[in-house]
Amino acid sequence: MNVLDELKEGVKPDLTPMIDVVFLMIIFFICIDFRVLESKLPAYLPLDRAGGHAASQPQEQLSVKIHVAAEGVKNFPDGVAPGAVHAPSKRPYRFVLDGHSIRWEVGPKRFDTIDDVKNELRRIAQDPASLVPDRATGTRKLLACVLEAYPGTYYGDVALTADACHEAGFEQIHFGGGFGAGK
Amino acid sequence: MDFTSIVKQPVEIDLTPLVDCVFLLMIFFVLVIDLSQKNLEDLVLPQAVFQQPDNQPPPDRPVLNVLQNGTVVYNQFVAHDPAVDGKDYRRVKDLLVGIRQAGLAAQKLHLTEEAIGGHAVMADPILIRADKWTEWHHIAEVMKLCSLPEIAFKRVELAMSAVDKEKADREPAQGTKRSGR
Repeated sequence: MNVLDELKEGVKPDLTPMIDVVFLMIIFFICIDFRVLESKLPAYLPLDRAGGHAASQPQEQLSVKIHVAAEGVKNFPDGVAPGAVHAPSKRPYRFVLDGHSIRWEVGPKRFDTIDDVKNELRRIAQDPASLVPDRATGTRKLLACVLEAYPGTYYGDVALTADACHEAGFEQIHFGGGFGAGK
Repeated sequence: MDFTSIVKQPVEIDLTPLVDCVFLLMIFFVLVIDLSQKNLEDLVLPQAVFQQPDNQPPPDRPVLNVLQNGTVVYNQFVAHDPAVDGKDYRRVKDLLVGIRQAGLAAQKLHLTEEAIGGHAVMADPILIRADKWTEWHHIAEVMKLCSLPEIAFKRVELAMSAVDKEKADREPAQGTKRSGR
């Protein structure tokens, strides 16, 4: 081959490795998008004593009740009937609840916004009268919160309230209620 | 053979196979992590800012998923379908008893010294994952079962999300700027 032949051929960059890398990157980012950061709310359940006669001492607790103010409207994806099943996953289609709102009772007081609930919880947490004896350590600790979710409330409502309790400084959160389904 | 001509040639390292291998390894690990999360249903968890991060979950922690309609799923097995079972949660109870017994037999789960109703209380936690728009009473039923003496999962963890996935999914559609973590 002489120099003239080489010049005639021209420069041909090999794009194959670049295409390989681009496709691999696309696959990588598609996969990584499904991962969602998770956190957890640890709770200790009151164990069912199965009709036992063990005496238990009453403990002072702060009752936080969650009531439904507006039920909201279930919005399914376009063209999907309620209860329809997504064939590949064999799971029902997910809906989004629009217009759902709740109200709270913190002790005897009623609140309509989560900010007001947070303020009240902070006030209670800072009140020295909210400290109760800790039998385990012999010191005093902040009383426990009992979240009572009334019919028609959702997990998101309870999570929002539990988060407000944690923000205010309450460490022990119990779940009461079990009042059954909504309408 | 003239070795001097070989030494004079510049050394060129082709990085393409190395880059290929690195990306293949990355994909392999991403897929392996994803497969290990097969017990996690595709749910939109409620956002929580002040909860504990679930960075290093115990490898053998049982995970129960509660879908929006109250369906209880464990490792892709439907343990309770409200359309079929109604308010009868016996299958979930049997499942939880089975999880306890199998976990103890395989020494993957452990007991505390505390006993209740003739049964020892579990030391390990159980994770309940539910959708943001799952009615609370479905979760309350599962929690009630966890507290039964023959199951006695005293430590229950409720899964939440560090980000509001629903809000994040809606925002781009509305033309607003997506907020960072």
